[in-house]
Amino acid sequence: MSVPTYPNGTVRALLATEHVSEATRAALQSRLDAPAAYEPQLLAPETFALLEAVAGRLFPQPDRPDNPIALAPAVDQRLAEGRADGWRYDALPPDREAVRMGLGGINEIAQELFQADFMALSAEQQDAALQALADGNPPGTTWQTLDAGRFFEELLAELTENYYAHPLAQEEIGYVGMADLPAWTKIGLNEREERELKLSS
Amino acid sequence: MPDEEILEEGVLSPIEPEIQDPLLRALIADEPAAAAAPVATPLEQPQAVPAEADEVDCLVIGLGAGGAPLLARLAMAGLKVMALEAGPWHNPTTDFATDEKAQDFLFWNDERLAAGADPLAMGKNNSGTGVGGSTLHYTAYTPRPLPDDLHIRRDFGQGEDWPVSYEELEPYYNEVERFIGVSGPTPYPWGPARSQGYPMAPLPLNSAAQLMVRGAEKLGIKTSPAANAALSARYYQEGVGWREACTNRGFCQAGCSNGAKSSMDVTYIPLAVKHGAEIQPNSFVTEIERDERGRVTGVVYTHNGEQKRQRCRHLFLCGGSVETPRLLLLNNLGLSSGQVGRNLMAHPGLQVWGTFADEVRPNKGIPGGLISQDTHRPTGADFVGGYLLQSIGVMPVTFAGQVARGRKYWGQQLRNYMKNFNHIAGINILGDCLPHADNFLELAEEKDGRGLPKPRLHFSAQENEHRMNAHAEKIMRGIWEAAGATDIWSFQRYAHVIGTARMGLSGDDAVVDANGRVFDVPNLYISDNSTFPSALSVNPALTIMALSLRTADKFLESQQRRDN
Repeated sequence: MSVPTYPNGTVRALLATEHVSEATRAALQSRLDAPAAYEPQLLAPETFALLEAVAGRLFPQPDRPDNPIALAPAVDQRLAEGRADGWRYDALPPDREAVRMGLGGINEIAQELFQADFMALSAEQQDAALQALADGNPPGTTWQTLDAGRFFEELLAELTENYYAHPLAQEEIGYVGMADLPAWTKIGLNEREERELKLSS
Repeated sequence: MPDEEILEEGVLSPIEPEIQDPLLRALIADEPAAAAAPVATPLEQPQAVPAEADEVDCLVIGLGAGGAPLLARLAMAGLKVMALEAGPWHNPTTDFATDEKAQDFLFWNDERLAAGADPLAMGKNNSGTGVGGSTLHYTAYTPRPLPDDLHIRRDFGQGEDWPVSYEELEPYYNEVERFIGVSGPTPYPWGPARSQGYPMAPLPLNSAAQLMVRGAEKLGIKTSPAANAALSARYYQEGVGWREACTNRGFCQAGCSNGAKSSMDVTYIPLAVKHGAEIQPNSFVTEIERDERGRVTGVVYTHNGEQKRQRCRHLFLCGGSVETPRLLLLNNLGLSSGQVGRNLMAHPGLQVWGTFADEVRPNKGIPGGLISQDTHRPTGADFVGGYLLQSIGVMPVTFAGQVARGRKYWGQQLRNYMKNFNHIAGINILGDCLPHADNFLELAEEKDGRGLPKPRLHFSAQENEHRMNAHAEKIMRGIWEAAGATDIWSFQRYAHVIGTARMGLSGDDAVVDANGRVFDVPNLYISDNSTFPSALSVNPALTIMALSLRTADKFLESQQRRDN
């Protein structure tokens, strides 16, 4: 099946309507309004830049060259505030340590494979380094003590959840579940409420 | 290796991590109130905790499915009752967003450590906090167990039988379903004839449910609209008034904003309050105090940063199967059987996803619209017990996270796949689980933000779970192929932590008796899924509520007999 595409702007248009509750609108609008510039609170600037570069390959956004959905700030903020999501793989050290070690380990993979730091690599090389990490057995001493597969899974899952929580990412997949007032009455197969988006392809 | 740094990092919210004894910590913290007294030997002066409220007859810790029903029952019997809940008391109408991330506050987000070959995801998967507990974000899928679920050992020679029969529980199932408002099919297609039908017709089938009907019909598998604790019509609720019908938001797992889902905060808790129960939200219990005879005399808890003590004649622990055993272990309480923390079970919850040419829009409607229990005791199966099949809807962030973890997609491939969201539907199982020596909960060395040891949960699926999953995956893939799905994939998961303070006939191998009373401590009761002797092949919430009412009734009987 071909990849569906949806029209732009629809979620943003719905946010202003009575189909969206106050609490819902506040949550989504705050992500839309997040300032582009972000000063890292926990990670060192160079570590944060590396996290951004990794996020940029895990979620490439060539369709948003000027204003990509920022995924790294929420990670830094969470770590700074010491928030957790209720659990952690016992195989991994505490989150702050895991992120610092793991990002260092990604540089190590880059060095082992391409003799340069991750940020100096081409996009293809960066993808190759990340694929080595995703495959679970990358080169580098970091990965003798840090579980590569679990680290990658946790990092990817967090960035993924940050990405799809954003209204623009929700537009991209044609999701308008936030516009649920007063009710959904057409919930069966091939049924669509008027305010739900039509496929444009 | 910077070991010291790692240890320090383990304290995610470093609030005085070193001193574990909260009373000692309060004293050392140089509180103005305590400073007046000459404190030479702080350890010998636990009375330094200032506010000591009046003694209550019954104190309930935790206001989820285990605590709320019995709180109401005990209040209605005229007892002076109070409940301490770790989380806040929400106003869903104004506070709950239709947004997964914004609703994170419903989960128990203190870190638990997940160990073993199949580490259990906690947080949104398995826990809750707030007045209403996990029912604030349960899917509301409330099938009853079938009678033989309670007799896995009798029928298979493995696992444990329940010391309570289905016949004893049935009146409680009737009562809970009628009181909280469960929508479901009457007559129910599986199991023995029931003395009472569901009070409301089933909720409408969403796309995923319709697809499962389509596939299952072709394979000769019987299906039915499922029982869900959400209202298919307006319903009168004692203590609340009229509750409105479900609006098909599909956000049950992120909190219901219109009160249609039958969570404890719109059912048993208002009933309890109406009958005089006192509710203390934001109250985290750290210590259970006893007299020289070993009877519980009260608890110490933290309320908005302040240490408080509440005395009680009887204590009911209803914190769920992680916090309940953690409190027992931390307080060295009820441990003589050696079973606290052991027998940890989790339901195999394998999911199968597929892409359909039809428009699905899987975020709408009650997520678990359809059920089949044809696989309850499948003929020729090579495993003990069985499972149920259900259709599943899903919210986008949850789904995307599962794609990342389960399919290991990233980059453009992940973005492309997610563009199919409106064409994706799922089906999953909920299966029984056997206890195993390798699966248990313990206290870790690592401390949490309160300075308490983090719980570590060991879980490795065993041969029986593996065989059940294999059987189920084949059937679910078959159903989805028959329904027309392409790009089918499976996601392995386990849900619900069960059994860490199990119920039994003897204190030699169980923590509580059939009435929920702790064998070692006569005025301590447990009411939550930690007492389940076996996991059952259905979701636990309905049975937790039924057992909660039964425990209250047994307690009240014992009080009348004055044998306590």
